[in-house]
Amino acid sequence: MNCSYINNLLRIALCSLLLLVPCSLPAMDADYCLMCHGDADIVSGPLLIEGSTFDTTAHAMLGCSTCHDAIGDEHPNGDSELSRATCLDCHDHLGQEYMMTDHANYATCGDCHNPHEVRAMDAMAGYDMNDKCFKCHEAPAMVDLHNEWLPQANLHIAKLPCITCHTGSEGYEIVLNIAAKQDDRFLSRYELPGYQTLQEISGKAGILSLIDTDGDNFITLRELKGFNRNPEYRDLRLAGTMVPSDVSHDLSTLDNRYDCTFCHVSGPESLQTSFLAIPNRDGGYQRIPVEQGAVLEALYGTPDFYMVGTTRSASMNIIGLIIICGGLVMPFGHGLLRFLTRKNRQH
Amino acid sequence: MSENKKVYLQPTPVRIWHWLNAFGIITLAVSGAQIRFPEYITLLGNYKSVIYLHNTAGFVVAISFTFWFFYYVFIARSMANLYVPKVDELKTGLLRQIKFYFLTYFLGWENPHHPTPRNKFNPMQKSAYLAIMFVLMPLVSLTGIFMTNVEPLRGVIVMMGGLKVLMNFHFLLACCLIAFLPTHMYLTTLGHTPLEHIKTMWTGWEEGAEEVSSPESIGTVSTR
Ligand code: HEC
Ligand code: HEC
Ligand code: HEC
Ligand code: HEC
Ligand code: HEC
Ligand code: HEC
Ligand code: HEM
Repeated sequence: MNCSYINNLLRIALCSLLLLVPCSLPAMDADYCLMCHGDADIVSGPLLIEGSTFDTTAHAMLGCSTCHDAIGDEHPNGDSELSRATCLDCHDHLGQEYMMTDHANYATCGDCHNPHEVRAMDAMAGYDMNDKCFKCHEAPAMVDLHNEWLPQANLHIAKLPCITCHTGSEGYEIVLNIAAKQDDRFLSRYELPGYQTLQEISGKAGILSLIDTDGDNFITLRELKGFNRNPEYRDLRLAGTMVPSDVSHDLSTLDNRYDCTFCHVSGPESLQTSFLAIPNRDGGYQRIPVEQGAVLEALYGTPDFYMVGTTRSASMNIIGLIIICGGLVMPFGHGLLRFLTRKNRQH
Repeated sequence: MSENKKVYLQPTPVRIWHWLNAFGIITLAVSGAQIRFPEYITLLGNYKSVIYLHNTAGFVVAISFTFWFFYYVFIARSMANLYVPKVDELKTGLLRQIKFYFLTYFLGWENPHHPTPRNKFNPMQKSAYLAIMFVLMPLVSLTGIFMTNVEPLRGVIVMMGGLKVLMNFHFLLACCLIAFLPTHMYLTTLGHTPLEHIKTMWTGWEEGAEEVSSPESIGTVSTR
């Protein structure tokens, strides 16, 4: 993977050299293009590019001309064909993987990704990954489709990125998001607030300080419990989701996703790794690691994240076992005395 | 000739409910165990079919519970009388019954309680059944209904403290019901013969019951 990025970078560097453009050009060049393409008075529709968003993407370092290299001086007048780099030029690994699947007949890279607003998978909340899919596969239709075989399909579709089940990633990890009550009404909905809203709640200390009280960029179970029990944050809840641990674009349905125990199974390895996703100023997310196994805690670690079969807690199992054993005292204890005194009842 | 008297103790609706319920609860317990421990228990096939089985059994038990409730309240109109212990039953009856089960039974004495259709449970049974049928069963069904509708009922679940609280509550309630089973099944073998009460629950007729002359008893009493 990394190797291919280095190749990409080399290629970009090479391009730059060949074009005899100085290294600092990308930013300048973007500023130049955005004079018009970032101004809603000059261009509109798809021609309008949100400069502040573009600047925060990994593509910003390429500048505009790396991908649109045939733009001449006369632009916008006169140039008939404007080049657009194809994604496969640089993303050969993921690109090839995608092009091998049936889905490549249905959607191009551009149908799911806007090249000017790209985000890495770990810079997303989880749920927003599905916005890509919902463009063509509407949510209610997907619930119906999956209902045919998937118990609680509405819950699964609402809580999981499609790509957790529909890509080749063999592992998954848990991402916790801060959800906020939408209004004061009884039983109001909880939704993921943006950076601004959370910033207002947390004040100067920053959003992360809501949970990471000791400021070490690491969330412990204690900090999670503290957050969940804090009456000040009554209107905030942690919503959990499972995202693929590797980026894969093999969009064919994998057979093992039929098997519920791919996810609904416990064991030393399952559900150990989790992250907290905090919204950034630029609309993306930042992930902060959470103590191993924190979501398995009985009650207050992540009160709203429970998966049957997986997040069962050992202490609850022990209490349950004691209760059941209590039910055996009568048959065994009484039964023994009954057996020993059986002669008394032979009238 | 009191030995030959038979009392019609368990009317048909109660018997139907009872066996539906018993079968349902056992199914729920086994499938529930597999849902909680999928990597250890694989008795009932794959995970998906166990989920469906558990949901269906839960549905059957909830429906039959409703049926039982309406039968006793509106048709037989004997719910309060049968299931709610009276003051003197709590004061003296309970103690007397405990003394019987844990002492005089072993000495070979007779059960101080004689079931009649109007008063078929002894004070201990009354208290236990009251707790089971009016607390455990409704709560376990209710939490189950919530868990099959997590998405639509999310707001209520959050108010109750979250999904985990709900799940663990359901689990512990289920453990209590499971604990009730061996005790209950054992106690049903304490009749004159081990199978006496169980036969009654199957046929409706209790054999060898004392002849009852209290005006309260309106059940059918026949002589063989
Ligand atoms: C002076 C304003 C201006 C500047 C500066 C400018 N553009 Fe444009 N650009 C336009 C306008 C106006 C259009 C629409 C032209 C049309 O519809 O024929 C356009 C169209 C485009 C298109 C789409 C053409 C097509 O085929 O539909 C691309 C790609 C583009 N510009 C890229 C760039 C890049 C890259 C830069 C910087 C190197 C840049 N532009 C700088 C005004 C500008
Ligand atoms: C990583 C490569 C890449 C970079 C960097 C890039 N673009 Fe693009 N751009 C594309 C591709 C690919 C398309 C075609 C998208 C499509 O057809 O959906 C495109 C389309 C466009 C269009 C036309 C939109 C349309 O729908 O026809 C404009 C205008 C544009 N880019 C401007 C810019 C400007 C200005 C910058 C720099 C701020 C920039 N691009 C940076 C790849 C890039
Ligand atoms: C000129 C080479 C080039 C082209 C063409 C290109 N990319 Fe990229 N892309 C990059 C580089 C370099 C990165 C940064 C890699 C990294 O740091 O992981 C990147 C990163 C990304 C990311 C992840 C963003 C992140 O923050 O890591 C996405 C998504 C992406 N590209 C999509 C596309 C799509 C879709 C296209 C086609 C429209 C495309 N790219 C075309 C070079 C390119
Ligand atoms: C069906 C929709 C879809 C198509 C088509 C698609 N992608 Fe993606 N891609 C996603 C999703 C979903 C993600 C994960 C969220 C994100 O990072 O945007 C992703 C992530 C990426 C990333 C970021 C990986 C990282 O390191 O985080 C790159 C790069 C990328 N895609 C490239 C491509 C390229 C190149 C193509 C075309 C060959 C393509 N994608 C086609 C849906 C798609
Ligand atoms: C541009 C539209 C478009 C987008 C965006 C899109 N799809 Fe599709 N997808 C299709 C079409 C068209 C089909 C084929 C018809 C069908 O099965 O519905 C399809 C089929 C599928 C299939 C069936 C696979 C097969 O080989 O038959 C899966 C799974 C799928 N899409 C998943 C996704 C996921 C996950 C996303 C988001 C990351 C996504 N799609 C985004 C258009 C799209
Ligand atoms: C719990 C895992 C899971 C999630 C989450 C999930 N899917 Fe699926 N999906 C599957 C499986 C497994 C199948 C295959 C079912 C079948 O063939 O009957 C499937 C089938 C499909 C199909 C039809 C494939 C076909 O061959 O007809 C489409 C389209 C699809 N999914 C899209 C989506 C989209 C879009 C999302 C997100 C909104 C999504 N899925 C979320 C597991 C999942
Ligand atoms: C397979 C297991 C079971 C067997 C063999 C069994 C047997 C019996 C018998 C014989 C009686 C009659 C007792 C009497 O009238 O003296 C009875 C009554 C009763 N059983 Fe069970 N039972 C079983 C399971 C259950 C379960 C799972 C429950 C509830 C969770 C339950 C609840 C009750 C109640 C409430 C009564 C009183 C019935 C009434 O209203 O008349 N039983 N059972």
